[in-house]
Amino acid sequence: MKQLSLALFHGQQTRPQDYEVKAAYLFNFGRFATWPGSATAAEGPSINVCVIGRDPFGTVLDSTLAGETIDGKNVAVKRIIAAKDAAGCRILFVSASEELQVSQILEVIGRAAVLTVSDLPGFTARGGMIQFVLQDNRVRFEVNLAAAEQANLKLSSELLKVATTVRGTFRPAE
Amino acid sequence: MRRTRSIASMLTSVNMLVSGVALLLAAVALGAYDRSSFREGTLRSLSIQAQIIASNSISSLVFNDPSAAQASLAALKASPNIVAAHIETLDGKLFARYQPATLGHALAAPTIAPNEVEAWRLEGDGIALARMIAFNGRAVGRVSIESNLNDLTARRAQYLGIIATVLIASMLAALLVSLFSHRIVSRPIVNLAAIARRVSHEKDYAVRAPTAASANEIVVLTDAFNEMLAEIQRRDNSLHDARNSLETRVQQRTADLEAANQELEAFTYSVSHDLRAPLRHVTGFAALLAGHLQGQLDAQGDRYLQTITKAAQRMGQLIDDLLAFSRISRGHLVRRPVNLGELVHEARQEVLATDTGIEGRNIEWQISDLPCVEGDPAMLRLALVNLLSNAVKYTAPRAVARIEVGSRCETDGEIIVFVRDNGVGFEMEYVDKLFGVFQRLHSADQFEGTGIGLANVKRIVQRHGGRVWAEGQPDHGAVFSFSLPTERRS
Repeated sequence: MKQLSLALFHGQQTRPQDYEVKAAYLFNFGRFATWPGSATAAEGPSINVCVIGRDPFGTVLDSTLAGETIDGKNVAVKRIIAAKDAAGCRILFVSASEELQVSQILEVIGRAAVLTVSDLPGFTARGGMIQFVLQDNRVRFEVNLAAAEQANLKLSSELLKVATTVRGTFRPAE
Repeated sequence: MRRTRSIASMLTSVNMLVSGVALLLAAVALGAYDRSSFREGTLRSLSIQAQIIASNSISSLVFNDPSAAQASLAALKASPNIVAAHIETLDGKLFARYQPATLGHALAAPTIAPNEVEAWRLEGDGIALARMIAFNGRAVGRVSIESNLNDLTARRAQYLGIIATVLIASMLAALLVSLFSHRIVSRPIVNLAAIARRVSHEKDYAVRAPTAASANEIVVLTDAFNEMLAEIQRRDNSLHDARNSLETRVQQRTADLEAANQELEAFTYSVSHDLRAPLRHVTGFAALLAGHLQGQLDAQGDRYLQTITKAAQRMGQLIDDLLAFSRISRGHLVRRPVNLGELVHEARQEVLATDTGIEGRNIEWQISDLPCVEGDPAMLRLALVNLLSNAVKYTAPRAVARIEVGSRCETDGEIIVFVRDNGVGFEMEYVDKLFGVFQRLHSADQFEGTGIGLANVKRIVQRHGGRVWAEGQPDHGAVFSFSLPTERRS
């Protein structure tokens, strides 16, 4: 009951177990996305999955990503405060606490190859790439393909296939 | 012509059997191969479809979107044989399914072994395949597809149809071939068999089997058969000739012998007859001389005269015997039923009445019942008289003479009559001489007689078709036997 009261967004209930799902999805998005060579070459020894703002996952994200690798590199969770720190991140989760700073954050990141994810409503409409939505009590997501393409990120058609909505030019075949 | 059918139909059946069996074996092998390759093909295509579905439903599983998985499964409707397909999550929950309305789900999905990615199960008329769905080396779910084997069934029916057609066609071909081969192979054999049958039934060795253009072995067989026939015919002819010439020769010899024998007997008769006249003169004049010189002769002269008379008498006896023997040999044999018992009785009376030196003898007679036989009564009587007389004669030294007459019947219908005595007997080594003319084992001083008796017995019995023989031991008596065949009518 205590945890349940923590998560109330715009009339839709976000249950604690939804964050377990979201943590897994967050990482799996990376499996269906391809970063440009320039971005991966400039990277450090580990691949960073970053959270900006107040971390809603608690320990769930750390435990989900523990031991995972992408392209042979370890995956690390990084919590950042300023948008400029997102340069070394492959995936950036924008916490709900940053609702007011979303546009600024996205502006700072600009065309850098960072896959931006959030559960804030209207995130994709505001230039974010992937936005979690709840549909029939299930965690789904919508995609802004145009934003990803601007950042030179290639999203797999398999990913687009299961998205509830895809903004932008590309439409996956049904 | 019954054999013709049998050998031809035998060849036909063998032909058809061989081709039928070969075809069936080939069909079974091909069918088994086709079935297994078809099954493998079905499995392979199921596996490919499962792989496509698996890779298409990874994101659906990862991001928990059953409708996308459903869309992937719906692509299966292109394959009409798929009766059901499922995607399950890792914990076994049904995630998405495809099930055309036409057919119900029949098979349980096969269980995949821990280290395998795929498993299949064949059951009845269905085949089911399950495959793990993996993402980045980690299993995320499972897809299972079930297909019916309608294609296999249709294929099998088609296959059976083809086999039946080919079988019938090859049977017809075999039939045609055997009709042709009948002309080449079986007809010469049938001809040969017919000739062989004729040869064995009619003993006709002049026939020859026709030599026809045929398989090499049959030509060889026919030629060999003909050669054999020729050889048999040759031998048959020479055998026939040999037998004919032998018969002629035997007849010739027999005629010669008979003529010689008759001449000899005629000679004997005439000599004996002619000898009697001068002998009568000798005895007659010896008697006249004895009367004439009555009282004038001294004792020595008297003895000389007596010796002359005795010798002449003996010679007369010998001549009489010789004539009697000759008569027995030449005389006509009259066959009629004879009571042997009566005959023995008469013979005994005659012996007792005529034999000298019988007075004062103690003779025990033991005469069994004797059968009736067929023969010349006078001759048989003479034979019995001779035998009994012999027995009486040679038992003279015995205080009590024992003479037994009996008979027995042999299995071959012969009747054997024997005369046993307890007389002086004889050495068996001289047994052959007993029945010779004038052959004697004892001197005339010991036992009187001319030695013609047993020769007469032998001649009489032989003329009746029987045999004579004797057994004896010095001082232990003798047994004289003769046999008379009873089946003389044949």
